[in-house]
Amino acid sequence: MQLPGYYEFCCRVKTISGHSALERIPEALEKLGAKKPMIITDKGVEGAGLIKVLNAAMKGSKVKVGAVYDNVPPDSDIKVVHAVSKIYCDKGCDAIIAVGGGSVIDTAKGTNILVSLGGDDLMRYAGAGAVKHKLKPLIAVPTTSGTGSEMTLVAVIADYERNLKLAFVSYFLLPDIAILDPRMTKTLPPAITAFTAMDAMTHAVEAYTCMAKNPLSDSAALIAIQLISQNVLNVIRNPGDMEGRLALANGSALAGIAFSNSMVGMVHTIGHATGGACHVPHGVCMSIYLPYGLEYNMHRNGNLTAELLYPLAGARVYQATPRRERAEKAVAIIRQLNQDLHDATGKRHARCLKEIFDRDGKQMVAKESLPLIAQKAMGDASQFYNPEDLDFKDFMFVLEAAYEGVPLDRRRVKKG
Amino acid sequence: MISHNDYPEIKPKKKLIKQIYVWIIMLVFGRAFQAASRVDKGAKAEFDAMPADFMLDFYVMPNGPHMVVGKDDNGRIKYYGWNPAGKKITLFMGIKHLEAGIKMFTFQESSCTAVARDRLEVDGDLPVACGVLRIMDLLEVMLLPKIVTKLGVKRYPKWSQMSPLRKWASRLLVYVRLTTG
Repeated sequence: MQLPGYYEFCCRVKTISGHSALERIPEALEKLGAKKPMIITDKGVEGAGLIKVLNAAMKGSKVKVGAVYDNVPPDSDIKVVHAVSKIYCDKGCDAIIAVGGGSVIDTAKGTNILVSLGGDDLMRYAGAGAVKHKLKPLIAVPTTSGTGSEMTLVAVIADYERNLKLAFVSYFLLPDIAILDPRMTKTLPPAITAFTAMDAMTHAVEAYTCMAKNPLSDSAALIAIQLISQNVLNVIRNPGDMEGRLALANGSALAGIAFSNSMVGMVHTIGHATGGACHVPHGVCMSIYLPYGLEYNMHRNGNLTAELLYPLAGARVYQATPRRERAEKAVAIIRQLNQDLHDATGKRHARCLKEIFDRDGKQMVAKESLPLIAQKAMGDASQFYNPEDLDFKDFMFVLEAAYEGVPLDRRRVKKG
Repeated sequence: MISHNDYPEIKPKKKLIKQIYVWIIMLVFGRAFQAASRVDKGAKAEFDAMPADFMLDFYVMPNGPHMVVGKDDNGRIKYYGWNPAGKKITLFMGIKHLEAGIKMFTFQESSCTAVARDRLEVDGDLPVACGVLRIMDLLEVMLLPKIVTKLGVKRYPKWSQMSPLRKWASRLLVYVRLTTG
């Protein structure tokens, strides 16, 4: 057990988890002093009928939904935040219920900043620590088991006019309540279930193996890895497995707690850059880069990677594997999980960069764009939490292997 | 009968020597920021990527010392001393307490470990803060002997990453500018 000389940990999100968790929302709102919430969601969630499920859960209560905004784009957009804030104020709402994935919850966090602190310029609050006051009540209802945004103090919102992704970091951005109800992920397509689960897995793995780890986040990370690895394939093969979906939702939330307090490393560094340069969904990047991040750092934290074998594969495999081989075995199991997800989703789950295609079947990451990705990665803050340093050449070395889907040649990793 | 003397007010003592040590290190770093921006291409590239109104207040909580560095009207990096009053600060980077500052500036803890252990509080643009930390690492490589720097940075640059010529030329020029202003 590595105990840091000093660390800080904070998670004050009330979590309501279970098969009828949504039904608790009216009472929860009442306790927060709110009667007229605004629902923020996206077209996919609305189209899947999840807002109807939510409304049915609130039926017969005193809660009156002030407005529903269902047009959040796949990437949170500062313009949308301003538009939603105006609707919130015009309709006299007093709380926000965010129903969706990371983009929706981040949009709700951005909206909450503006409607609580006033002003019409979200930019004023960008960066770390700029939000210094308590915001309006926010209830997060995740509809994917991946981002863990319901448990984090961060929101990432894009400003397309200036081609920027703005990070907002403050403890006041933690939602008041997270509702984990498996009905909310039931309609999620298998490929999205796969990559969002691997996103959550990456949060937990990086929280456990990177530099800001601490015992409290470790405990959350290990349980998250176990819940995700034990359930993701079952849920994809059997979409009606509500116990499995609840387990994934809890795994994602735990991973969110872990990485919100331990941060993440190079898998996210390269993933953010790939998303920025090629608009690849974040979870897809995570599932591809995760084994490479572990391989790259193995000379630094192989002992920690070895410990992941237990939650990934169970006691029997852990005991049967010689100590010196456990780290490599853990990486092999993650690669195999990606392969199994690839097979279970009809080859939709990408195993390497060249296998990522958009809806029109067009390849999303061209080999020529790898230098641009490496360049963008150089400016990402998550790099600081990675055990080993990376420069442009190191990023290119990892990207080239991830493009082809071949394991990293660890002899070429520069050691500090 | 309770007398006021039974409940004396306790004023915390000052850690004067530690404060002076950190103040000196910050003075050196502040001047080195300015010098490196003129003589080293790596530092110059980092500073060039920062916004035109960049003004950093790097300080130890709660009462200092401070190091104020920013861009002047011509876009050149300038060390503005230890008093942030009257400056339009765009990036605050605070070490949470003096003991953490001592750990960092005696190289018992690398800047990355300090970040990982929540020693620093950032108020401002995160990518710019990352740039500042990268420059600090670069300055450690330039100013200090390898045996000390290796304690403070994650990976000491190999020859292929920073040629000895660049390192020694930058070291010499930064030291000259440090002392001559």
